[in-house]
Amino acid sequence: MSKFEQKLEESITSLQSEKQPERDLWRGIELGIAAQHHNNDKETDTPYASHRQWFALAASVCVVTLLWFAVPSVFTSISGETTNYAVIEKMSQQQQLQVNRLLTSFERTPVLTEDWQAQLNELDEAASAVKQALKSDPDNTALIRMLHHVHQQQIALIERVHAPKWQQI
Amino acid sequence: MEPIQQRAVPSTSVFGSSDEDCCISAAKAGDKQAFKSLYDNHIGNVYGLCYRLTGDKGLAEDAAQEVFIQLWNKLDNYQGQSKFSTWLHSVTANITVSYMRKQRNWVQRMFSLEASTAMSLPSEVCSTEVDLEALVVRLPERARMVFVLHAIEGYRHEDIATMLGMAVGSSKAQFHRAKQLLKTWMGCNDE
Repeated sequence: MSKFEQKLEESITSLQSEKQPERDLWRGIELGIAAQHHNNDKETDTPYASHRQWFALAASVCVVTLLWFAVPSVFTSISGETTNYAVIEKMSQQQQLQVNRLLTSFERTPVLTEDWQAQLNELDEAASAVKQALKSDPDNTALIRMLHHVHQQQIALIERVHAPKWQQI
Repeated sequence: MEPIQQRAVPSTSVFGSSDEDCCISAAKAGDKQAFKSLYDNHIGNVYGLCYRLTGDKGLAEDAAQEVFIQLWNKLDNYQGQSKFSTWLHSVTANITVSYMRKQRNWVQRMFSLEASTAMSLPSEVCSTEVDLEALVVRLPERARMVFVLHAIEGYRHEDIATMLGMAVGSSKAQFHRAKQLLKTWMGCNDE
């Protein structure tokens, strides 16, 4: 056995199998388990329970609408928190407009690959996932950058598949 | 050499095997406090393996959380034929590998990233003191996973190939690559 093999074997034998994480992971695990339960409950809902949920939802909407007119000051503090997400919504709407405009302008242009719409759908799903995450954390700059990047990729994809062949060389 | 998964049974020293059996039964029945006890006793081993496989603290923390979230539903699969720690070790390895695959696919799709390349480290003099863990986490991803599973955890190349979705030959080649890099970084190249 070479010196290296011997040293490697010694190092592996003396390796500690345990290592403690730097933060407490239990809270996240509890939340994850609770979320799973919630999803399972949703899947096993009976039609009766589902009707009850719709009634509850309708009742909540009525209460909120009444409050909106009766006590408008309650909502002024809430609207401040949603301002950032409103900007993200606006950004998404503009992106959708730009995508639609591009698709219309390329309507008669032949495409280079057949699966580009599947790729576009994947990017759409990615954008929705990032937006969903931004709903709970609208100030997260990494997520905003990620959404911007996905939007750029959508435009680049549409332009690339519709570009004349000489540009592809 | 005895693989770590067979050495990893410290929980019984703090908490007898019958206590652990009680906790497992209670957790299977939905007792979260019993499940928390299992978490407290095994998080060190689970996180340790996640960290070596991912090579990143943040990813390892996320993967360890994923292991325990999935474990809550998988506990019924544990029939007591092997030690709980051994069973949990293999569950951890499988969940971490698929967690990393999911993460990699998503990140690569988003940012068109290439597979990581080996970091060049200054080679040390062939000394007796080696921080193997620090070197292992710097290995390229596939080489690191194969090295951890084969050399440290004692898995066969055939099993690793199935887990990682690669050919047996590729697993052996990645293991060789990992060893060559470690040899250089440990300053043992002259042999």
